[in-house]
Amino acid sequence: MAIGSEIDPCEKCEELLQSFLDRELSDAERAEAEVHLDSCSYCRKRYRFEEELRRFVRQAAVEEMPPDLKQKLADLRTPLF
Amino acid sequence: MGETTPEAEPRRLAEEARDRVRFEEEALDLADQVYRVARRLVSTREEAEDLMQETYARAFRAWGSFQPGTNLRAWLLRILTNLNIDRGRRHQRSPDLQPLEEGDYYLYNKLEEAGREPNVEQERVDERLSQDDVVSALSAVPHDFRDVIVLVDIGDFSYADAAQILEIPIGTVMSRLHRGRRILKRELAEQTVGSV
Repeated sequence: MAIGSEIDPCEKCEELLQSFLDRELSDAERAEAEVHLDSCSYCRKRYRFEEELRRFVRQAAVEEMPPDLKQKLADLRTPLF
Repeated sequence: MGETTPEAEPRRLAEEARDRVRFEEEALDLADQVYRVARRLVSTREEAEDLMQETYARAFRAWGSFQPGTNLRAWLLRILTNLNIDRGRRHQRSPDLQPLEEGDYYLYNKLEEAGREPNVEQERVDERLSQDDVVSALSAVPHDFRDVIVLVDIGDFSYADAAQILEIPIGTVMSRLHRGRRILKRELAEQTVGSV
């Protein structure tokens, strides 16, 4: 094999990040990622950041329904009589 | 065969009315959750309100086609996303023409380069990004990707539910979610670090 053809483990870890957090990886892939994360603070920091980011996006994107809209929706119900 | 006594028809109508009222109450109980998704599928609060009213009007008319015991929230969102598409709120380029997203470490690396390296021990995203950053980055993500992010990451729908709601294969949900999150991070990087 030509020198330099091996995949950079951090690059591989970056590729696995989303599937790892979505719990979509196979057992073998997950184990591979965990071994790398145990020894690589560069990737570990970025994984933690991604986890926090998802939580933050979920929280930041929420806008509560305007109170009068619920009444407008209720008014759309079929009259009983 | 069905009953043919004179009392049968009023009884049937009464049962139908009871089922319909129950359906309408359950649908209204879900309105807050449906709105959270609706709000991020469109650009403005007014659009979200219109879409909600159209969705509920249609759902109340079509209540008989809902299968009791299935996911009512997903059923409502399916009506809502179809209405959203029908109303022609898609003026962006198709996904194939979108520029490629950056890698998953892109946003972190950009924050680091800008001297905002996240704390190693405690990742406090909220110290570096604001709610407005997220809202405006999300609105810059093309619709096809945003729909999936909103359903899965904000609406908490499974991949299978999102596939059913959007009427696309589950593999497409997964690939759009992966690419969409990367596009979102690129947008966040542009809006936060890019403006420094």
